[in-house]
Parts: sequence; C-alpha cells; structure tokens
Amino acid sequence: MNVRKIVTLIDETAREGGRPVNPAARVAVVAAVIENPWGNQPFVEDLSEGIQDNASDLGALLAPRVIEALGAPVEAYGKAAIVGLDGEIEHGSALIHTLQFGDHFRKAAEATTLLPAVEKRGRAGVTFDIPLKHKTDATIRSHHQSIEVRIPDAPHPGEIVVALAAAAQGRPQQRLAPLSSEK
Amino acid sequence: MRSLPENPEELIRKIVFLREEILLENGAAPLVPAARAAAAAVVVNPWAGLGPDSDLTEAAQWLAPAIAGALIERLLSGLGGPDAVEAFGKGAIVGTAGEIEHGGALIHTPYFGNLLRESLEGTSIICFADSRGDAGEALVVPMWHKTAAATRSHYQTVDIRIPDAPLADEIVVVAAASTGPRPHARIGDRKTDTPVSWSTLVGASR
Repeated sequence: MNVRKIVTLIDETAREGGRPVNPAARVAVVAAVIENPWGNQPFVEDLSEGIQDNASDLGALLAPRVIEALGAPVEAYGKAAIVGLDGEIEHGSALIHTLQFGDHFRKAAEATTLLPAVEKRGRAGVTFDIPLKHKTDATIRSHHQSIEVRIPDAPHPGEIVVALAAAAQGRPQQRLAPLSSEK
Repeated sequence: MRSLPENPEELIRKIVFLREEILLENGAAPLVPAARAAAAAVVVNPWAGLGPDSDLTEAAQWLAPAIAGALIERLLSGLGGPDAVEAFGKGAIVGTAGEIEHGGALIHTPYFGNLLRESLEGTSIICFADSRGDAGEALVVPMWHKTAAATRSHYQTVDIRIPDAPLADEIVVVAAASTGPRPHARIGDRKTDTPVSWSTLVGASR
C-alpha cells in the first residue's frame, strides 16, 4: 500500500446558536491518500486481490489515529472513500465496504453498527461530507451529523482518499425528539 | 464597540486543527520527514460595524493573547512540542463585515506574535497571509524557519479552510507550524547561490 500522506482534522465547537457548548463538541477525521490499487489498468473484474492487499492495512492505519485524534470516547462514527478521476467509485467502495477495513475501527471503538459512508469521485481538492451516526444504535437521532473535509492536493487522478471520522458526542445543541416519540 | 464578555475565550466559536504528514512525494519518501499543521480559531470580530477611525488597541490586547494561547496549545500537542517545530507562520481571514485591519490587529501585534514566537521557541519574524471573504474561504498560510527565516528549504505553506467560517462578523485567526523542510528540498540556499543579476544573464541561453 502506497500512502502519500496522512491528514488529521480536529474540529471543536465551543459555541453554537449563540450559546456555549461545554465541553466543546469534538469531531476528528483522519484521511490517508493512497495510490489506487486498480489504477493504470483496464477494467478489473475481480477486486478481491486488491482488497486483500489493502483494506485491512488501511483500517489498521486509520482507526487508532482517529481515536487518538479525538482524545475522548467515540460515540458516533463514519467513513469515506473519495476516488480520483481516473478510477471507479467501485474502487473506493472496495476498500471501505469490507469488514476487514471497518472492523479495526468498530472493535477499537466498541461499536456495533454499520459505518455510514460517503463514496464520491472528484478532482484534487474536492470537498466531501462524511456522515456520522451513533456507534451502537444508528437510530439515535442526536448523533446524526456530518463533517466536511477537503484536501487541497488530493486525490490525484490515480489516487483514493480513504478516511475515518469520529465524534465524541452528538450535534452541539441537539434537541430533537427521539425517533421513538414519533412511533 | 459591541458589549464584550468578561472572558475573551467566549468570543471563540470553534477551533479547527489540521495536520498533514507527507510519507511519499513524487513516489519517494522524503529524506527528512515533516509534518505541517495549522490551528485556526473562529472568533467574533469585536470591531465589526465600527468606523475606520475606531481604536483597536484595547480589544486587541485583551483578545489576541487568548487566541494565541488556544492555538499554541493545539499546535504544540499536535506536533510534539517546541523542539519539534522548525518553521512557523500565521494568518487571518476576516469576515465581510470587517476590515483587513481588524485581522491585523489580532495577528500583527506583540499580543499575538510575540507569544507565538516565544512558545514555539523561535526568533524570526513570523510570516503571514491575510484575506477577507465569506464562510469557506481558503487561506494558504506561509511558513518559514523559526530562527533563520532565509533558510530556503523551509519555505512552505499549509492550506486552511473552514466551511462555515468566517461569518460576516467573525475572523478566522490561524497559527501554523512545520517540523521540517519541504519534501525533497533541493533548490540550494543563499550560501550556495552564485551571484545573479540581469548583467550576469546576458548571453545566457537554455
């Protein structure tokens, strides 16, 4: 796996709607910019070899870093694969939509739910929003949130940006009635 | 002036920290690995709506140290302390209801710059960029060596952008640092340059 760079983003919201958020709401993202394992070749029918070679390693690289960057217990989480213009979205999906990728994060965060994801293709500097949901119950409405990410020089056409996101809480000033109240 | 809270930290809406570590550049690992980081505070502009003759001194002296402290803490913990830092820079993005001068008041006085320099254990003047724009405006923040500003290998930048800031009456204040040179820095230095002027280039061809 060829990793060109690793980007860490930590977002702390101390005030929202004019009121203090105490403690500040924390969301962290760690993204790896990697060479597309299926770049520079014609249509690859079977992606399993590239998945075997990369997906688990990527999960093992990103999961501890995003948990460390968050610096607090993970309550919500999400993931992303942003494919450069010469690749297929399927290439990004292949890397992140496998248990061998996600389980590193799921186990380290003591999580049980599916990781919500964004898959997208774009130019270097494309913005993308990573959706996050509660790590053990994806219906917990307070924790539905997203974080915008942009890496100015990635992905190159032959690269993929793979990212994990973690939040230490729900939205700042969250105050929606729970889903159960509408049933 | 608008009524200000007792504690300047109450003017800080959010803080964003960005770090990038380059493992490969042009297919090869840099001989001297480096991480670059920027810490940015989204701050209410205490002077938004005031006239061009308003005095900026008092609020700058009150607010700038609080911003500096918050940014320094995140830069140092994110890069591994002052010993790890080799280059630094700063910047401001002013919301559209403010003056560029308001950003300058927060980053160009000793109440910000001296504190950043002291905490990062530098001696150089700190290079900077500023701009004014809507939320989501990107700023490329320059950095140079913290004790030897003319060290060419350390001229580098970090790109910061906060999707929902600055609001019109906010300022994004940025402090940036790097733990080393550019990847594959190889364009010589002042010490190795031959003298160049228009006259030395007469007759030169490619």
